Amino acid sequence: MDNLLSEGLTLMVFGMGFVFVFLTLLVGITTGMSKLVTKYEPAPQPKAAKPAPAAAAQSGNNDELVAVISAAVHKYRS
Amino acid sequence: MDKVLELWYASGIYNLGGGQLVMIIVGLLLLYLAIRKNFEPLLLVPIGFGGILANIPEAGLAFSAVENAIHFAKPEVMATLANTLGVSGTVDAHALLEAYHTSNASTHAAATLAANDYGYSSGMLYNFYTVAIASGAAPLVIFMGVGAMTDFGPLLANPKTLFLGAAAQFGIFATVLGAVGLSAMGLMDFSIQDAAAIGIIGGADGPTAIYVASLLAPQLLGAIAVAAYSYMALVPLIQPPIMRALTTESERKISMVQLRHVSKTEKILFPILLLVLVALLLPDAAPLLGMFCFGNLMRECGVVDRLSDTAQNALINIVTIFLGLSVGSKLSADKFLDVQTLGILILGIVAFGIGTAMGVLMAKLLNKLEGGNAINPLIGSAGVSAVPMAARVSNKLGLEANPQNFLLMHAMGPNVAGVIGSAVAAGVMIKFVG
Repeated sequence: MDNLLSEGLTLMVFGMGFVFVFLTLLVGITTGMSKLVTKYEPAPQPKAAKPAPAAAAQSGNNDELVAVISAAVHKYRS
Repeated sequence: MDKVLELWYASGIYNLGGGQLVMIIVGLLLLYLAIRKNFEPLLLVPIGFGGILANIPEAGLAFSAVENAIHFAKPEVMATLANTLGVSGTVDAHALLEAYHTSNASTHAAATLAANDYGYSSGMLYNFYTVAIASGAAPLVIFMGVGAMTDFGPLLANPKTLFLGAAAQFGIFATVLGAVGLSAMGLMDFSIQDAAAIGIIGGADGPTAIYVASLLAPQLLGAIAVAAYSYMALVPLIQPPIMRALTTESERKISMVQLRHVSKTEKILFPILLLVLVALLLPDAAPLLGMFCFGNLMRECGVVDRLSDTAQNALINIVTIFLGLSVGSKLSADKFLDVQTLGILILGIVAFGIGTAMGVLMAKLLNKLEGGNAINPLIGSAGVSAVPMAARVSNKLGLEANPQNFLLMHAMGPNVAGVIGSAVAAGVMIKFVG
């Protein structure tokens, strides 16, 4: 019976230890992955920011807009 | 008159045993809890109904061909089976069943074929059990569906919450110790495998509990599944007193900063990284976490929406039906009406309580390390998985302390971490005692 208890105790120590080691590693890997991804792929933020300047430019920079549109129309017709 | 007597001898009333009657009442009780009290109805309705079906006298729905043949006990069939199974001397049903259950695979198959020759076949529920649970398929397919339903966003935004999911698994291992302790004191008779399967109830994860029980302690599967699903339904009653006892009013009022945005690339890479880590460190958890990661990848990659949709809706529903009926088939009187079932029910609730407490204490520790005002300890209790019920409980208690404090998304992090944690714990159990 003592054998069974010691088996249970071993299972507890090893099991809990392993769960912690595994999840600690996962924390490390996940954090590293997130850092890498945000470093090399800063895409979402600029994408969200882009439409705003374009809208703001509409009032101030009308000439450029007209030029771009006419160029596009020209290309479409040709 | 002979015909009438024959009908009477074949009727359910004539053959109904006391144990079967009690088990039919247990099945009706499960149906009542599911339908009137709304206890995990998706599982308890099929389990309760399966339990009733399994205990219909003479129908033998939950028995294999050999067990059915032995039940009807025709002399020439018994003689053939005794010959096949190598039982000598007087042929009695108990000795035959004993020999059948302990026989190796080839003898087992030979006995089944012999019974088939005499026109006996396996019961419907027995076949369901063989296909769905004995093969391990149903819990794994459900785990895939759970993966397809899980959003790892909150976890990725705050990976430290994985520690909460790890701490809450202490309930599992403490319960294993409790179960072997009961055996050592001579109160119950659990082997280390039984103890491990019972402990997994503390993981608050139905499919994981069923998977582990089917591998380590199939004879206890009915009681373990019923305990796991009943306690998951009772999470809103079991957890709050423990959470209140371990936290102070000011800790419960802590409001957490909003989670950062998590990009799609991170969400796609996470299940792949998790899978690689499992492959490198714990191949025994690969069936569970492999299916889980697969389901999650289908969800996040965005190019197989049809498959992801099937995995989290149609497929998981179909498999749940068969899983429930198969678990019900294990609710037979000789296995369920036992002092062990009582032990399992008590140990299960202890496992839940300890898991909740450790999650909360871990959250308090993390909060101290982060300066005392960053992590609300209430989210720690969500580490026991039971997605999303445990996270909702955290949210509710947070709102009670501070009506502006929405903890739901913060609690989802430890909640899905708990799913990973209990699957890892299951892998360790299978590795060490399987």
